[in-house]
Amino acid sequence: MDLSLSDDQRQILEAIDGLSKPFASVPLHDTSFALSSDALDAELGEGGFLDVMAMEELGPVTAALVVERLARLPFAVEAGASALVRPLLDPELPRPVCLVEEGPMQQPVRFLRPGTTVVVVSDDVRSFTAEAEHVAGLGSEVLFAYPMARLIGLPPTMRTHEVDAGTVRMHWRIALAAEAAGLLAAALASTVTYVSERKQFGRPLATFQALRHRLAEAQVLTNGCYWLALKAAGTLDPGDAALAALHAQDAAKRVTYDFHQFLGGMGMTLEHPLHLWTYRLKALTAELGGRGEQALAAAEAHWS
Amino acid sequence: MDFEWSDDQRAFADQLRAFLAANLPENWEELAGHGPASAEITELSKRFCAALAREGLLFPHWPVEYGGQGLGPWEQQILAEEMWVAGEPRGGQYMNVNWIGPTLLKYGSEEQRAKYLPPITEGRALWCQGFSEPDAGSDLASLRTRATRDGDVYRVNGQKIWTSYAGLADTCFLLTRTSDDRKRGITILLVPMDTPGITVRQIPSLIGEGDIHEVFFDDVVVPVEARLGEEGQAWEIIAYSLRNERLGIPRFRLARAALDRAVAMLKERRAFAREAVRTEAARCAAACEAARIASYAIVQKRVDGLPIGGESSSARYATVMAERTVADFVVEYVPEALADASPYLKMHHQRGIVAGIAAGAAEIQLNIIASEVLELPREPR
Repeated sequence: MDLSLSDDQRQILEAIDGLSKPFASVPLHDTSFALSSDALDAELGEGGFLDVMAMEELGPVTAALVVERLARLPFAVEAGASALVRPLLDPELPRPVCLVEEGPMQQPVRFLRPGTTVVVVSDDVRSFTAEAEHVAGLGSEVLFAYPMARLIGLPPTMRTHEVDAGTVRMHWRIALAAEAAGLLAAALASTVTYVSERKQFGRPLATFQALRHRLAEAQVLTNGCYWLALKAAGTLDPGDAALAALHAQDAAKRVTYDFHQFLGGMGMTLEHPLHLWTYRLKALTAELGGRGEQALAAAEAHWS
Repeated sequence: MDFEWSDDQRAFADQLRAFLAANLPENWEELAGHGPASAEITELSKRFCAALAREGLLFPHWPVEYGGQGLGPWEQQILAEEMWVAGEPRGGQYMNVNWIGPTLLKYGSEEQRAKYLPPITEGRALWCQGFSEPDAGSDLASLRTRATRDGDVYRVNGQKIWTSYAGLADTCFLLTRTSDDRKRGITILLVPMDTPGITVRQIPSLIGEGDIHEVFFDDVVVPVEARLGEEGQAWEIIAYSLRNERLGIPRFRLARAALDRAVAMLKERRAFAREAVRTEAARCAAACEAARIASYAIVQKRVDGLPIGGESSSARYATVMAERTVADFVVEYVPEALADASPYLKMHHQRGIVAGIAAGAAEIQLNIIASEVLELPREPR
C-alpha cells in the first residue's frame, strides 16, 4: 500500500499547473456557457500530458491525476478519453476523442465536431473520424458546459480495434470518475471562496452552520471520488472502476444544486463561473447510461 | 501509488486471521451479539488478549523498547481492521493498546507505569473513559466534575455519563476540573473503579449489553500520585492520546463484511436479481470503499510523517456514512437477519447508531472539515 504521489507525478502536476496558469481563471462577467480553448488543448497535446498512461513509470494512475487536475480548469479540455482510453486503441488517434455507446442516435456527445475521432463501444470497439454529415448542432439553448454536438449517423465502415470492450468501458469509467473528481473539487473551491466573502446579516455566509455542514459533506464526497478514481486507475479492476464512476455520478447529483443555492442570486447568473463545473458534472451524470448502469456493473463485478 | 497490500502486509493479516480462527470459541458470533462491553465479551477478552500478548499481537505497533515490535501505521491499521471485522474480541481492551498504554508511556510516572502497564500488556486490564458529562458532551471543555486538592489527596465530586465499559472496568481515565480555566483547568486522574464513593448505574441502551453508564463520584478520595501529568495538563495529554486515534474504529470494514453477508442471504433466497436491490448494494459498496480509501490516505500521511489535520475528520465522516448506508440496506432488504438469523448483522445494525455519536459526534467532524480543510471563516461564538 502506498498512496503518496511519486516525484514524477508531482512534477507533472506542477507542469500542468504552470502551463494552464493563463487558463486558470475567467474574468467575472465574461463567461460563456461552454468555455474551451484550442490553445490550451494544443499545448497539452504537444506537451505529451495525455500520453502518460503508456509510459511504464507513470501509467494509468498518473493519467487519472492529469485528467483530475485539468478538469479543475474553467476551460473544458478533452482529456479523459485521450489520456485513459486512446492508449488502449491507438495512441496516434487524432484528438479530441469522443466516446459513445452504440445505440439510438441524436444523443449529445462531448467535444464532437467534424474532424474528431469517435469511438463507438458496443460488443466490440470501432472508431471513425467524424465528418460534417455525422454531426448536428444542439441548437442555441445549450444546457451543457462542454462543447457538444449530436451524433446523427455512423459511416458504413469503421475501423475495428483489437481490444476488449469491457476493458474500454472500465477505462472510460475511470476517466469519468477522475474528471468528475476534478470538477467537484473546482466547484467546491469556487463556492467556498464566494461564501467566505459574501456577507449577509453582517457576517460571511460561510459562518452559518447550515452552509458549513453541507459544504463539509461535499468535501467528504469530493475526497471520496478523488481516491476512488485513483484507486480504480491503480488496480484496473472493473469493480473498482464501476464504484468510482457510481460514486462520482452520485456525488454530482448531490452537490450541484447546493452549490448554486449557496451563491444565492449570483448562482443564477452566467457572471459567476460556477456553472462551468456544475453543468459539466450534470452532463457527466448522463454518460455510460447513468448511475444505475454503474451500480449494476459494480454489483456484477462484486457479487456475480 | 500502490493500492495493494505488500506480501508482508498480507502475511501479517493472514497471521491475525489464523490466530482468530484458532482462538475464538465456536459460538463466537453468538457471543459477539451481546456487544463488546457485555460481561460475556469482557470475560472472553481477557483470555483472548492474553493469548494475543503471548503471540506478540496485542501491541505490535508499540516501540521495541516497550515490548512492541515497532510495526508501522499500515500494520496498526491491519490489526484494527482484522479485529473489528471479526467482531472485536478484544472488547474494551482495544483502547488500552491504542491510546491508554501509549499515553502512560509518555506521561505516566514510574509508579503509574509499573502499576498499570503490566495488566495492559498481559491483556487483562479494562479501562473506562470518564469524559462526557450531562452538560459536557461535544462541548467537552465545559466539564464540571470537580477534583479539590486536600493535602495529599484530591476529593472528586461530580458525574460522568454515557461512559462505555464502566460497569466492568477496573480503572477510569478520568477528566476532572481543578480550576475554572476552560481547557487549562482540566486534570487527569487514574482512578480505580472500586474506590469508595464511586457508583455506576447502567443505562439501558440500543447498542448492546452493558455498554453505557452513568458514573457518580461522591467525595471520592484519590491520592495525588494518581494524577497523570500536571494539574491542567489534560487537554494537551488528550490531544497526544488521540493523535493516533483520529481515524477511529475502521467501521467500513465491518460494514463491507456485513454487506457481503446480506448479499449472500439475498442470493440464497434468489432475491438479489432485482435491479433495485443490486443498485442499492452497489451504492453501499461505494460508500464503504470511499471510506476505506479516504482512511488509508490518512494512514499514508502517518507513514510519511506528515501532519494530520481535519482531513481525518473527512475520513471519519465517510465511515459514518458507510456504516449507516449498509445498516439501512440490511434493514430494508434483509430484515430477517435482524430477527434471529445473524448475530453478526445484528451487531452491525446496533453499532450503526454509535458511529456518528461516540468519540466525536459527526457534526463535530463536519465543523472540523469546514474550519480546517475548507478553511471557512469561523462561526461566531
